[in-house]
Amino acid sequence: MSELPQRMNGRIVALLLLLQLLSVYFLWTLNPVSEVGEAIFALYLSVDLVSFAMISHIFRVDKWKGSIRRATLVTGCCFLALLLLFAAFLL
Amino acid sequence: MVPHKVEKSSGKDDTHEPEQHSRLARMANWFDSRLGLSYELLRPAPRYSINPFYWLGALAVAAFVIQGVTGIMMMLYYLPTPTQAYSSTQYILQNVSYGRFLETVHFYTAYAMIMIAFMHMMRGYFVSVHKKPRELMWVVGMVMGFVTLGLGFTGYLLPWTVISKSATDVGVGMIDALPQPLSSFLSFLIVGGGGDSTELLRFYDLHVVVLPAVLLVLLVGKMYMLEAHGISEPVSGSSSIPEKRTLISIFPDVSFYLLELAALFGSAMLLISVAFPLNLPPQYSPQLAAQYVAQPEWYFLWIYQILKISAFEGAGLPIALSLVTLTLIALFLLPFIDRGETRSIVKRPKFVTLGMIFVAEVAVLAVWGFITPGRTISDEQAALVLGGTALLVAVLSFVTYKLLFHGLSGRAPSIAKGSFGTRKSIRSAIMWTTACFVFLLVVGTLAISSSINLVVELIWEGPSIARVSSLGLSLIGLSLSAVTTMYLLYRLDLRRGAIKRRIRTFEVGWKK
Repeated sequence: MSELPQRMNGRIVALLLLLQLLSVYFLWTLNPVSEVGEAIFALYLSVDLVSFAMISHIFRVDKWKGSIRRATLVTGCCFLALLLLFAAFLL
Repeated sequence: MVPHKVEKSSGKDDTHEPEQHSRLARMANWFDSRLGLSYELLRPAPRYSINPFYWLGALAVAAFVIQGVTGIMMMLYYLPTPTQAYSSTQYILQNVSYGRFLETVHFYTAYAMIMIAFMHMMRGYFVSVHKKPRELMWVVGMVMGFVTLGLGFTGYLLPWTVISKSATDVGVGMIDALPQPLSSFLSFLIVGGGGDSTELLRFYDLHVVVLPAVLLVLLVGKMYMLEAHGISEPVSGSSSIPEKRTLISIFPDVSFYLLELAALFGSAMLLISVAFPLNLPPQYSPQLAAQYVAQPEWYFLWIYQILKISAFEGAGLPIALSLVTLTLIALFLLPFIDRGETRSIVKRPKFVTLGMIFVAEVAVLAVWGFITPGRTISDEQAALVLGGTALLVAVLSFVTYKLLFHGLSGRAPSIAKGSFGTRKSIRSAIMWTTACFVFLLVVGTLAISSSINLVVELIWEGPSIARVSSLGLSLIGLSLSAVTTMYLLYRLDLRRGAIKRRIRTFEVGWKK
C-alpha cells in the first residue's frame, strides 16, 4: 500500500514533464506588469520547480533500486493540484 | 588532500600501437599530472548525507544564487543616490516587468538565507562539526555568517525608506559606541564623511560588490576544505548501518538531490512572495523619521533588545556591545574552546545546554524586542526574563539528560543488527518521534516565553482581564506540552526501561 509499483514511475514522470511544458507555455502568455500576472507567474514557476523536484526524486530513488513511497507522490501531486487551482482562481 | 584517481578505460586494444600509445600516454600523463584531468573533481559522498540537515549550507548557497540573479536584474534599474533610490525602487515595483516579483523574492530569500545560515551554524554546534580536523572550516563558516549579516544590513538601507534608514541609523549608532580606533575605522569604511549620499553609495558598493566577492572567496575556501576532509560522520547510530556508509557519486546522485532541495526551496520562496507581496513604506525624510520608532531587522533585534536594557543605556552601551562581541568571539573560537574528543550530544551536556540557552535567549530577545518597540527595559525585568529563560532551559536540559541519556551511557541502539523491515520501522519511528518532539519543543518554547512575558507585564503594569486570560492560555499550553512530552518519554522504549522505572507517577495512571 505504501509503495508504488515501479511501472508507474515512467507514467508519472511523463505526466509531470507534460505539466512542466504546459506551465512554461502559460508563463509566456502572462501580463508581466500587473500584480496578478506576477502572482500567476510565481505559481506556474513553482509548479515547474515542484515537478522538477518530483522527477528528480523518482529518478534518484529508482536509480538506487529503492521504492518510491506512495505518500510522497500523493503529497507532491496534491500540492501541484493546489497550486494549479490557485493559479486558475487568479486567472 | 589526496585526490581520488578515476579508473578509466579507453575500450580499445592498446597492444596494436605500442609506440603511439607510449607517446600519447606520456603526453596525456604529463597534462594529467599538471592539470589533474583524470581526477574526480569532487569525492563521492556517503549515503547517510542524503539528509537536508547535511546540506543546509548548500541551501544557503542556493539562496545566495537567487539573491545574485534577482539582485543583478534590479541593479539595471536602481540608482544609489538619496534623491533617486526610493523613486527607482518604486519604479522597479510598479513599472518593470515582474519587478515586484523580483524585489519580493530578493527580500524574502535574504531573510531565508540568514535563517538557514543560523540553522546551519547551530546544527554544526550541536553535532560538533567544529572538532578536529574541521576547526578552520568552522572559522571560515563563521566569517561567512558575519558577511551574510553584513549583506542583510547593507541591503536593507538601499530602498531609502523611512523604516530602513531609521533601522540603519540604529546600527550605525552601535558602531559609534564601539571602542576606538575600531569605531572610527568602521565608520570610515561603512558610512564615510560625506553625509547621506556617501553612506548610501558605500552601502551599495558593499552590498553588490565587496561582500558578495568576499562571500564567494570564502565559499571556495570552505568547499576546498569540505573536499579535503569529506562530509562529517553523523553522531547518531545511523552510520553503523552498512548501506548508509556506501558511497554515492556527486554527479548525478548528490547533485540531483541538491537540485531537488533547491527546487523545493525556490518554490517555497515563490509561494511566500505570492502570499505576502512587498509594499514599500514611505520615503525617508528627517521629519517623517522623527515620527517612527527606529527598529532594526529581526536578525539584529536580539542585540537591540540587549541595548534597550536600562543598565546598558548611555555610558553602559560599550559594556553591552562588549558582551555581545564576547559572545560572538566565543562562538567564533569554539573549536579552540570545545576541544574534547567526543562529538556525541549525549556526552557533551555542558556545551549542548549552553547552545540551547543561546538559541532560547536569542529567540526570546528577538520576540520581546518585536513586541516592545522603542521601550526601555528595566534591569529587574531583564534579569527576570533572561535569567528565567536560562534557568528553564538549563533545568529542562538537566532533566532530559538525567531521564533520557542516563541509562544509555551515550551508546546508540544497535540498529544494524535488525532486519531490513525492522530498520525501516525504526527509521519511521525515529522520524515521527522527532517530529513530535520538535512540535512540542516549539509549542513549549513559545508558551514559556509568552508566560514569562505576561507574568512580567502583570507584575509591572498590573492585572487586566486580557493579560490574565492570555496568561491562563499560555500556562495551559505549557502544561499540555510538558505533560505530553513526559508521556512520550514514558511511552518510548529506551531498551532499558529507565524512563518507566523513574517516572512512577505516570505508571499509576497509564501502565496497563
